[in-house]
Amino acid sequence: MLEISFAKQALPKTGALVLLVDDQLAADQLEATDEATGGAITRAFAAAEFKGKPGSTCVILAPGAGLSRVVAVGIGKTEALTAKLAEEAGGHALPLLSRDTHASLAAGGLSEELAAHVGLGALLRSYRFDRYRTTEKAEDKPKLASLAVLVAHPSAAKEAWTPLKAIGDGVVLTRDLVSEPANILSPAVMAERCQALEALGLKVEVLGPKELTKLGFGALLGVSQGSANEPRVVAMHWYGASGEPTKAKKGAKATARPAPLAFIGKGVTFDTGGISIKPAAGMEDMKWDMGGAGTVVGLMAALAGRQAKVDVIGVVGLVENMPSGTAQRPGDVVTSYSGQTIEVLNTDAEGRLVLADVLAWTAKEYQPRFMIDLATLTGAMIVSLGHEYAGFFSNDDTLAQQLFAAGETTGELLWRMPLADSYDKQLKSEIADMKNITGRPGSAITAAQFIKRFVGETPWAHLDVAGVVWSSKDAATIPKGATAYGVRLLDRLVAEHFEGVSPTP
Amino acid sequence: MTPRVRIGASAPKAAARVMPVREGRVPFGFTEAAAASGFTGASGSACDVLGGATRVLLVGLGAVPDEEGFRSAGALAAARLCKVPRIALDATALLAEEAAAFALGAALRGWQPDGYASRPDPEAGRLATIDLLSTAPGIEAAWHVTSAALAGASLARDLVTEPSATLTPDGFIARLVPLARAGVQISVLRRKELEREGLGCLLAVGRGSVHRPRLVVLRLPGAIEAPPVAFIGKGITFDTGGICIKPADKMWEMRADMAGAAACAGAMLSLALRGSPSPAVAVLALAENAIGADSYRPGDVLRSHSGKTVEVVDTDAEGRLVLADAMSYAIQKLRPAALIDLATLTGSIITALGHEMAGMFTNDPALAAHTAAAGRQVGEPVWRMPISEAHRSDLDSDIADLRHCTSGKFQPDACHAAAFLREFTHDCPWVHLDIAGMDSRETADDRHAAGATGFGVRLLDRLVAQHFEDPHRA
Repeated sequence: MLEISFAKQALPKTGALVLLVDDQLAADQLEATDEATGGAITRAFAAAEFKGKPGSTCVILAPGAGLSRVVAVGIGKTEALTAKLAEEAGGHALPLLSRDTHASLAAGGLSEELAAHVGLGALLRSYRFDRYRTTEKAEDKPKLASLAVLVAHPSAAKEAWTPLKAIGDGVVLTRDLVSEPANILSPAVMAERCQALEALGLKVEVLGPKELTKLGFGALLGVSQGSANEPRVVAMHWYGASGEPTKAKKGAKATARPAPLAFIGKGVTFDTGGISIKPAAGMEDMKWDMGGAGTVVGLMAALAGRQAKVDVIGVVGLVENMPSGTAQRPGDVVTSYSGQTIEVLNTDAEGRLVLADVLAWTAKEYQPRFMIDLATLTGAMIVSLGHEYAGFFSNDDTLAQQLFAAGETTGELLWRMPLADSYDKQLKSEIADMKNITGRPGSAITAAQFIKRFVGETPWAHLDVAGVVWSSKDAATIPKGATAYGVRLLDRLVAEHFEGVSPTP
Repeated sequence: MTPRVRIGASAPKAAARVMPVREGRVPFGFTEAAAASGFTGASGSACDVLGGATRVLLVGLGAVPDEEGFRSAGALAAARLCKVPRIALDATALLAEEAAAFALGAALRGWQPDGYASRPDPEAGRLATIDLLSTAPGIEAAWHVTSAALAGASLARDLVTEPSATLTPDGFIARLVPLARAGVQISVLRRKELEREGLGCLLAVGRGSVHRPRLVVLRLPGAIEAPPVAFIGKGITFDTGGICIKPADKMWEMRADMAGAAACAGAMLSLALRGSPSPAVAVLALAENAIGADSYRPGDVLRSHSGKTVEVVDTDAEGRLVLADAMSYAIQKLRPAALIDLATLTGSIITALGHEMAGMFTNDPALAAHTAAAGRQVGEPVWRMPISEAHRSDLDSDIADLRHCTSGKFQPDACHAAAFLREFTHDCPWVHLDIAGMDSRETADDRHAAGATGFGVRLLDRLVAQHFEDPHRA
């Protein structure tokens, strides 16, 4: 992973140099660089008609003064620079530095906080999932190993960097999980990767088929019964506010401790659709049908990594949905953890079955302050909103507003979608409490209505992230592939509204 | 046809009497029947008391009914008594506004399509007359306003129901006589004017049909000195999809692809009948999207009225093309204060919101909030949807100013359509209502009749009443 460091501002003697150029064509170290290179920089800007517009770049090869290249990145108006725009500037620079092993980035013109965000942007863009490329030539791999961000007060920048690095690590973990092929990342393997987070101070509890059967996770078990890979439910606990509970008897702690926040993820490590099998074209995408769970794991790593002062539970339901002689059939009726019965009319509407049990269990086990679930749930959501917004549903207007605002700040955008009894009615089954599918019209909404039946009175939001966990093109801070959508959004939500505040009972 | 509503103190000719009942307040004389059937006055419930001198239907209002509560109770009554030729709604205990909402709900639910059956079943009764029993102060005034909305909705429903063989663009125009009678000025742009004015998109869409495209402009001068509010309606009298032809299954539903234009016409009728002081205009883009030797093709580049060039990707995304020209024309010629367009535009919005809400897109959040509030009040709910940067950049074209849609599966086509239309608003405050899921209902229920809904008419009427009738508005 790219090493980000912070050092005192000065003109570097070797390697690549990044300048952050505003719309007045001013930048930290620009004059010094221009002078040292005999005016090469200003000549290049004029020749390339570079105006410092946000997102625009200009590369000057071997300009002299020992530098291998100068990469100018436009940042527009300096005074309008936000954390998000600073990250994008770092992200835009990164691919242009791949031929150097070391680069410096002059950020003396920015606050140390913003400079740290530039570093985060570069780190996020540098992500590459290449562990299965065994024959790639060395010269085809990006060389960049370290980026020094040059600032006025390196110690202040380092302080700002520490929590951002933890968030970056969380994002990388999520991207790794989502990128892994399904023959590697089975439910059991993903559970092991969750357990590895104990190194960060998380307490991780893994439930296997025996425990799940005993607890009565009938809906989740129905989905997994066709696969040779056993299911897992993993609960990750972070006690950043109240400290780890002492070994008191269960039940006693629920009243004594503040209610935790709970994040729940759908983790279908591969979704064939089951007996209601999907068409072959594009089925490979279904390795990322655990994207919601992947985000929850990365979020928990980020919160623990930055020692967030809050109690949080992350729960992921991990299954593989396969067709086989033991697979669940269309028409089967299962009894969920909540006791409600479900007629499974389409085995490819499996995500909601997994969530139903995990949400009901989480609500009962932890009585959380709120539950937010993430799931790559419906194609209908992609048809509704495309790939820029995740759709979300909530039974709590305050939580909904907080989520929406966090999306605007982080750029992980959310759009609220409706819930209404008229949609709920469509779930009526002739032989069970509900059926698991409706017709195509409004089917992301009816999926949300289904899930809502398992959350009780707990404040809740459901994020349908089907359109946003995987990207087919590069963005400033997100290389194409797994986006880790939601890690930053939810980290922000926690930081903004739930951290260090005295919990209300 | 919508049942006639008469207001009076008694109704000797009515064959059944309907009594609205608040939760827990079952009227004296009916307590035993109510108890026997478990009826308490809960909303959505009814109790049919057949044994007395006249048939009495108790309908529940719930504890604290709102406007929609009275409408849905009225609707329930009409649903249960839809074969009784004449019913009386006993609104003697209701306020004028409540009584009007009650009657409106019944009349809307009592609407039935005018049949083309050559030998109608003489045994089948049909709810034709509703007596509204009310002496509440202000009932005449309240009903004047409400009946105007009802008449507008009825016109829209009749237009949507009419088969495309008779409801061609010119057939549509011929059915606007009630508007003229009510004082709406009607002008029609035909081929020559359309060519002269440069409505290249509308002309292209209509080119494959022998029934030529028309642009209809409806005007109500109003009583206040202010720019008009403008309604823009998609009026594709039949949509085969053109060269990108639709699958045969359910293609017959495409006779309703002019429901946006019908709603705009209906709203103009409502405003005229109740004498709205607001100046209002409607621009209806009427065309048939047919397959012919001269049909427009995928890949064609059209010059729109605004001057922008459009690359055609899919000829079945014709609605946004005709709207673009109508919007641009309206802005240039009529200088409106706000634009609200209605269109049965995309299948994507049905996937997104189903048949319970219309999709709303806007460049003006305040206007959108007013529109949503009006929709909620009249029971025509809308849900706001986004237009993002990506939705717009997806429409970038290699050879024209923009494409009008994208190809491929899982496209957010409703958002793309809205991003396309926004290019033709020239910063005029604008709301786009994608009513594709709302124009018709497949089956009847207690609240809604089957068939055309008239969705949008009452929303527009209410929006104008609340936000465009201030004599001092700019």
